[in-house]
Amino acid sequence: MNYIFEGVIGAFYLLLAKDPETYSAIWTTLRLSTLSITCTLIVGIPLGFLLGHYNFPGKRAVRTLVDTLLALPTVVIGLLVYAFISRRGPLGDLGLLFTIPGVAIGQFILALPIVVSLTASAIEGIDPKIYLTLRTLGASDMQAALSSMWEGRYAVTAAAVTAYSRVISEVGVSMMIGGNIKWHTRTITTAIALETGKGEFSMGIALGIVLLAFALTANTLVSSLRRRA
Amino acid sequence: MRKTLVFLASIALLLTLSLPSTAASQYLMMATTTSTDNTGLLNVIAPAFEKTTKIELRWTAVGTGKALELGKNCDVDVLLVHAPDKEKKFIEEGYGINRREVMYNDFVIIGPRTDPAGIKGLKAIDALKRIKSKKAPFVSRGDNSGTHSMELELWKKANITNIDKEEWYIQTGQGMLNTINIAAERDGYTLTDRGTFIKYEANHNGNPPLVILVEGDQLLFNQYSVIAINPKRCPKVKYDLALKFIEWITSDEGQKLIADFRLMGKQLFVPNAAR
Amino acid sequence: MKNIFRLENIVHRYSERTVLDISKLEIAEGEVVALVGPNGSGKSTLLRILAFLEKPTEGTVFYNGKLVKEPSFTQRREVTLLLQNSPLLRRTVEENVSYGLKMRKDTHNIKERVKRALEMVGLSPEIFAKRKWFELSGGEAQRVALAARLILRPKVILLDEPTASVDSESARIIKEAVFKARDEWGSTLVIVTHDLPWVYQITEKILSLFKGKLINYVPENVLAGDWKPYNDGLLALRLADGQILIGAGSPQSGSLALLDPKDVIICTEMPEEDSALNSILGTITSMSLISESGQVLVKVNAGGKTISSLVTEKSVKNLHLHPGLKVYLHFKASALKWI
Repeated sequence: MNYIFEGVIGAFYLLLAKDPETYSAIWTTLRLSTLSITCTLIVGIPLGFLLGHYNFPGKRAVRTLVDTLLALPTVVIGLLVYAFISRRGPLGDLGLLFTIPGVAIGQFILALPIVVSLTASAIEGIDPKIYLTLRTLGASDMQAALSSMWEGRYAVTAAAVTAYSRVISEVGVSMMIGGNIKWHTRTITTAIALETGKGEFSMGIALGIVLLAFALTANTLVSSLRRRA
Repeated sequence: MRKTLVFLASIALLLTLSLPSTAASQYLMMATTTSTDNTGLLNVIAPAFEKTTKIELRWTAVGTGKALELGKNCDVDVLLVHAPDKEKKFIEEGYGINRREVMYNDFVIIGPRTDPAGIKGLKAIDALKRIKSKKAPFVSRGDNSGTHSMELELWKKANITNIDKEEWYIQTGQGMLNTINIAAERDGYTLTDRGTFIKYEANHNGNPPLVILVEGDQLLFNQYSVIAINPKRCPKVKYDLALKFIEWITSDEGQKLIADFRLMGKQLFVPNAAR
Repeated sequence: MKNIFRLENIVHRYSERTVLDISKLEIAEGEVVALVGPNGSGKSTLLRILAFLEKPTEGTVFYNGKLVKEPSFTQRREVTLLLQNSPLLRRTVEENVSYGLKMRKDTHNIKERVKRALEMVGLSPEIFAKRKWFELSGGEAQRVALAARLILRPKVILLDEPTASVDSESARIIKEAVFKARDEWGSTLVIVTHDLPWVYQITEKILSLFKGKLINYVPENVLAGDWKPYNDGLLALRLADGQILIGAGSPQSGSLALLDPKDVIICTEMPEEDSALNSILGTITSMSLISESGQVLVKVNAGGKTISSLVTEKSVKNLHLHPGLKVYLHFKASALKWI
């Protein structure tokens, strides 16, 4: 049991002493997750809106597909993305393997179904009378679409935060595409997964604390938004 | 106007985020085995190499099998691995060139202090036979790594086949240190390179639950080699940098670093590059 | 007076179900129209068609004398609809009220206009302008929703049960504000409501919808006037020709009694005396067949008041009823309902 205690003490030492390896992993995680979540939101929110707002043939099938993709394991995504961005793959010339943008592609695929599905649900959940109201107050189709998206802003933000939590806590894609390269693609989760294998409990615990802090912040945000929505 | 500014700022932020953090002029991408990384050897080698050559060394630590696969797919520039038979095949098939031996350590069979199968001091082959007849738990990497290849070869030499589904034979599919930890949990035996075992010992402050039971057998010799990826098959590979690394690690400077690398006062690897 | 709406041969269906079937409907500019009928009779659908929020499956709509195929932006923006429990946008009161103007890019002097609109619905701008949508009572929210429409100075205001679920004070203010809009800007009002006293107070033009069809009778006779206490706790209303209507019950306020045409029996002879029974002599002015029921609505003028009676076709034949015939109307004093 002693080593757990020593690990926790060491963890706070690492965090307070601004240990460069620990902070590199934290900074990499932040950079990576910001990149992937931004791309996901830019693509996912409009798609989710289209899916939630319009009725079209095959809509139910698309919803089912999106909801199924929610269950896609990260290692499958990792494998898929690796096949494409490996030098021998179709996108090999871009040199994305072992880079942050490469991992971001995988995390984008991971987070997109979450954002699309939750945004669609959020938009579907808007009182249909709201849309009627927007129209009768003289909004054009475009204006009404934007305004009703604004109406769902709390639920959409909650969707974004949920996706963000998923992205920062995943390890499969980061490991397979990023390669856990020190100072470059070593994220909080890959560090915990592999560094603890070396017996570096303190670093693992320190990073775990940071990850928990991120998750706590994200979830506090979500629950406060849920209350307002 | 304000919206445009915010939009431009976001684009700028995104670009910054996607750029590499350190604008290293040149870097070399290496795939290596978990043992070189887990022991911390590369944390010593990489800075020294960069200091001498101004080339940054980046590595991803995977099993030897996966490392060779990354090499075949042109995803890395150089390999540091330890499965001589597989390496030779790799070279013959034209994936790699300029293979140079760098260093060695040896494999050891470790197990509980109580040694329930009674293998202490035996030759490796005899030890495996005893483990099988006693059905004592044996934990295998099962991940196509160099250590795994060595283990499979030993079973073959002991004429023991079809152990995959035996209840006492446990395959982890994980790195060496994790595999040792699992063996300790199960009170089982496992095959490990000495370097990783020393690191394991160090983690337990010199008093680990598993101890060395079989060592010094000729069959347990563990050779590490460095291989450049063939630029004819992979035009984008940084062949010149790979050559520089091979030259440096087999040079006096590189070899001395390996010889001097110690954990708990114990030498982990013995340099043996041919002059 | 010019027609603002003319609907011809309108049929509206949801999947296979016909919800609206109107052969002809005209609404004049500046007119006040009340739309009554049971739930599910198609009132709200008709309002949505008038608001250009839905296109009828079949038929033509003329707006301001022009045939509307695809409502233009301008046409759509001249008409606005207020729902029962009209939802507010998740913004401040001020932003809710100014939303329509902003969508029109008409932001000239917008603060002042928002202030005026809020005052029109009896909400102090100082107190309410910055409030969030969830910081309002139901009645206040409905008034904000009305202000958001009045600020647009609409040519037509369509109101779907505007006061059904608000407090009485809010209801009063909403009613006043709507008529102020009509007086100031000549807005046409089409009101769906169950609030019959209000209906009779504000308009003669009452359209009744039943199963998607406009039916040509007023559902109830309205007997307004100076009801006075009579003997035995009954009430009496003296008609212009001296006849007396007798009603039972105790009206709370006002002096409005409703009488269902089904409760009115027509006889050609004076029946035996009975104090509980009204027997009023009158003259048949018109007779019309109600296609849905096969019954005939007979309108009788008695002492200046029109009282309708619903009778079967058979009785019409047996009694040889025809306009101009003098008849006796029989109904119980207790058949009168006070509102």
